Amino acid sequence: MNLIIQALPDFLDGIKNTIIYCVISFALALLLGFALALMSNSRILWLNGPARIFIEVIRSTPMIAQIFLIYYGLSAALAIYGLASYDNAWTAGIATLALNYSAYEAEVFRAGFASVSKGQTEASLSLGLNEQQNFFRIVFPQAIPLMIPPFANDLIYMLKDSAIISVIGGVELTSKIESYRNHNGSNLLPIYFLAIVSYLLLSLPTSYFARSFERRLRAAL
Amino acid sequence: MERAVFAERRGILGARTSFTALNYGFYILLALAIAGFVYYFYSFREYVFLDLPVLLQGAVLTIILSLISIVLAALFGFIGALGRLSRFAPIRWVAFVYVEVIRGSPILVQLLLWGFGVSTALSSLGFDPYNVVYGIATALQSNSLLPDPQPFNAAFYGIIALSFNYGAYLTEVFRTGIESVDRGQGEAALSLGMDSRQTMRHIVLPQAIRITIPPFTNYFITLVQDTALLSAVGGIVELQTTTTSLASTQASNPGRQLFVYVFGALIFLIICYPLALLSGFLERRLAKAD
Repeated sequence: MNLIIQALPDFLDGIKNTIIYCVISFALALLLGFALALMSNSRILWLNGPARIFIEVIRSTPMIAQIFLIYYGLSAALAIYGLASYDNAWTAGIATLALNYSAYEAEVFRAGFASVSKGQTEASLSLGLNEQQNFFRIVFPQAIPLMIPPFANDLIYMLKDSAIISVIGGVELTSKIESYRNHNGSNLLPIYFLAIVSYLLLSLPTSYFARSFERRLRAAL
Repeated sequence: MERAVFAERRGILGARTSFTALNYGFYILLALAIAGFVYYFYSFREYVFLDLPVLLQGAVLTIILSLISIVLAALFGFIGALGRLSRFAPIRWVAFVYVEVIRGSPILVQLLLWGFGVSTALSSLGFDPYNVVYGIATALQSNSLLPDPQPFNAAFYGIIALSFNYGAYLTEVFRTGIESVDRGQGEAALSLGMDSRQTMRHIVLPQAIRITIPPFTNYFITLVQDTALLSAVGGIVELQTTTTSLASTQASNPGRQLFVYVFGALIFLIICYPLALLSGFLERRLAKAD
């Protein structure tokens, strides 16, 4: 108990950093994922080819391999050009989370667009809207509510996956456990429970929101 | 208006035909990119065959660890699903808390918890998994088959952490699978004189398994990728650990270090991508069967 009270301020600092990592990365992942979804839905091979390859490669390699590649491998290569200082735990962590999740968000966007019935597109095209107008005024607004629950779920996944940033020395919630392990070696279990409870406190409200939103959405449809 | 729509449709179709020439350009570029990637490996040719055996050893261990973990995870998941569907409220609650806590916290923290927290707590109580297994193996006169105590214990707690984690996800998969079987079938089986265990075994489970196969393979793919997290705990020389340690010996040569990380990621890709294709194939076949 003493240990928990002693560790708490440090852990709050870690929670703050975890939230910062996730908010920035998730915003970037949404933007990139949207672009990837548009690209992979395109009929132009020059757009959908690279997007499909990117998505498959990202989804088939572990995130920890990606973060090592970006943090150690790439910074070693960047050092040749004297740019290694830009490749720190913050940029590498955010880049990895954003790139990794953009592949998953792209699939969510695609599923969302596909779930708007084809008849609506046909109707709007026959009313004289062009493809851009149809997409931004008819399909996209209707897809947004359908995509919010999977986005909330992915945000929770990202919250948990941001723990991986601790392996490259980034300061966040999980790295606080590591530092405590080095300081008080013998009695560790309370520290782990504190970390797990912190993650639960962060993730459970989001998942509760996702579930209630989903229920209301199902009732509305 | 009608004419405008028609013209636009024709425009799209016309555009599509004129893209084909551009498409060849894309395939040429793709071929060039692949050739460039092959050349990248060729430029490190004296290292490829030096690194490959080391990395392949790690890959074999990764596959073995994932297979053992997924079998145990299926066991945990099956027990958890039965718990969540149990008639007794306390059992339902235990299963619910198990699923929520495990799914609400990062797998890396759980790996650290088992690998450092639980293992030190248990060893201070006098429990050492290696000694237990060594005793059993000695009784079976086969203790020479065991690896060294340190990697054995690391693998033991790693497998437990992974399978305990994935058990929670599979609990939900199995539960939805069991619940998706029409209730009338269970009622019919019961009214035909089967008891509840026979109903579960002969009527519900065979149909539930069919539905759970695609999500199960998807979780297996993520499990293979999550074994890479064991490198953060240390003690097991799976693929990511071998990659990282190989790279760290090359710190003086940055280009070569990047190459090792790319090589390691490529082997993960070679393991996981066929599995992803398989799961997509199974999903499509099941969708067709319905």
